Amino acid sequence: MSALVSDFKQNFIENARWEYLTNGLKTTLLVTVGAVLLGFILGFLVAIVRSTHDRTGRMKILNFLCKIYLTVIRGTPMVVQLMIMYFVIFGSVVFFGSVELSKYIVAILAFGINSGAYVAEIVRSGIMAVDSGQIEAGRSLGFSYRQTMRLIVLPQAFKAVLPALANEFIVLLKETSVAGYIGIVDLTKGGDIIRSQTYSAFMPLLAVAFIYLVMVMILSHLVQRLERRLAKSDRH
Amino acid sequence: MIDIKDLVMTFSGVTVLDHISETINKGEKIVIVGPSGSGKSTFLRCLNMLERPTSGQILFEGKDLTKAKEEELDKIRMKMGMVFQNFNLFPHMTVRQNITIAPKRLGLLTKEEADAKAEELLEIVGLPDKIDSYPSTLSGGQKQRIAIARALAVDPDVMLFDEPTSALDPEMVGEVLQLMKKLADDGMTMVVVTHEMSFAKEVASRVLFVADGNILEQAPPKEFFENPKNPRLKDFLSKIL
Ligand SMILES: Nc1ncnc2c1ncn2[C@@H]1O[C@H](COP(=O)(O)OP(=O)(O)O)[C@@H](O)[C@H]1O
Ligand SMILES: [Mg+2]
Repeated sequence: MSALVSDFKQNFIENARWEYLTNGLKTTLLVTVGAVLLGFILGFLVAIVRSTHDRTGRMKILNFLCKIYLTVIRGTPMVVQLMIMYFVIFGSVVFFGSVELSKYIVAILAFGINSGAYVAEIVRSGIMAVDSGQIEAGRSLGFSYRQTMRLIVLPQAFKAVLPALANEFIVLLKETSVAGYIGIVDLTKGGDIIRSQTYSAFMPLLAVAFIYLVMVMILSHLVQRLERRLAKSDRH
Repeated sequence: MIDIKDLVMTFSGVTVLDHISETINKGEKIVIVGPSGSGKSTFLRCLNMLERPTSGQILFEGKDLTKAKEEELDKIRMKMGMVFQNFNLFPHMTVRQNITIAPKRLGLLTKEEADAKAEELLEIVGLPDKIDSYPSTLSGGQKQRIAIARALAVDPDVMLFDEPTSALDPEMVGEVLQLMKKLADDGMTMVVVTHEMSFAKEVASRVLFVADGNILEQAPPKEFFENPKNPRLKDFLSKIL
């Protein structure tokens, strides 16, 4: 017992090492939220292009580019995309004169672009699930295709895929654990730094796992509540 | 009001409408009957360009729709209300929103005017107390009456009905037909695809028999039903009457 206590003290209390975890957690959340926002925007745009092409045959070139994007992003590992983004694409670019800030921006870009590919297919399935009679009704009232999408199709698609989108947030939260590859000290890297200083792996790594698990459980619970709320509002 | 000239519609090689020419005058109530799969819906959907004809012309109030730009078509569709077999109400909106969204978003009416219009239309269709309900809480007949109100909210010059009572339980057919009759009595130009022969007899100024992508016969209802000439029509009538 006393061994555990001293282990705990050494890993988290001494030299205020717990700050590696709290600061790391902040970074993890920052990168995740930034990436989710970017991913949603990208995902919706790509989904609109793809479903417009599927339904009307227009936007051929854009649709082709979107397909390349989806294939490349979904066909390569996240870590590799992150490293290419950091070392190759933005290899010599420093944003706002700060190397630290640059890392965050690159991470948000890489994770966001990755997430966008998955969001796109979620949203596209939601759009295609909206009955084509809804589009005809919108068009027959005098709405343009665009207005029909914005006012009639997208709100219904969004509601249908909201739980899946919330799940994407959970997925991304865990995916960002590879941010350490470009020198970002996120939650995972924070725990790993403690391990390298104290030479004990058990406490820091289990603490890291525990924090992820608690966050995922809370978020999953919220998603379930959201699903129930939506199911209710469908019936009214 | 609507001039159809040599209308042809083919879907991947299959000819669904085969050189149809017809004129629909202001105030007329055209009822279209015919076997299923004969192209009635396609014909209706060509009138407001939901479906682009393969060839031929549709002239609406003198303007050739087959040559109109998309933006022009959006404006013209406003003048041609459409009512669907499956209602196609917007499920994420209340009845009020269903009715007001088009006049509001198309810049025809202010929010207050649109609300007043919705209340007025709901009186006409007999559902004033449903204004804040969602479509999912309504019966089929009520849904279709709301769908008619929604189409009327943009003041169309002509109303197209595609089997408006076919998806309804029998006891709800009457309320919808009654409303359509009221519209007809008020002078609305109407093109109605239906299997309700009583409606055709009572309301139609002309009945068209469509089969094999053509108008095989047309006449005022009395003659159409009492003295059919085309053998296909005779056969059709003997099956449904
Ligand atoms: N979008 C379409 N693509 C391919 N075929 C179609 C399409 N719309 C209708 N058709 C075909 O055209 C024919 C006529 O259909 P429709 O106009 O719906 O007939 P009706 O309304 O008289 O029952 C049917 O054989 C149908 O399968
Ligand atoms: Mg039909």
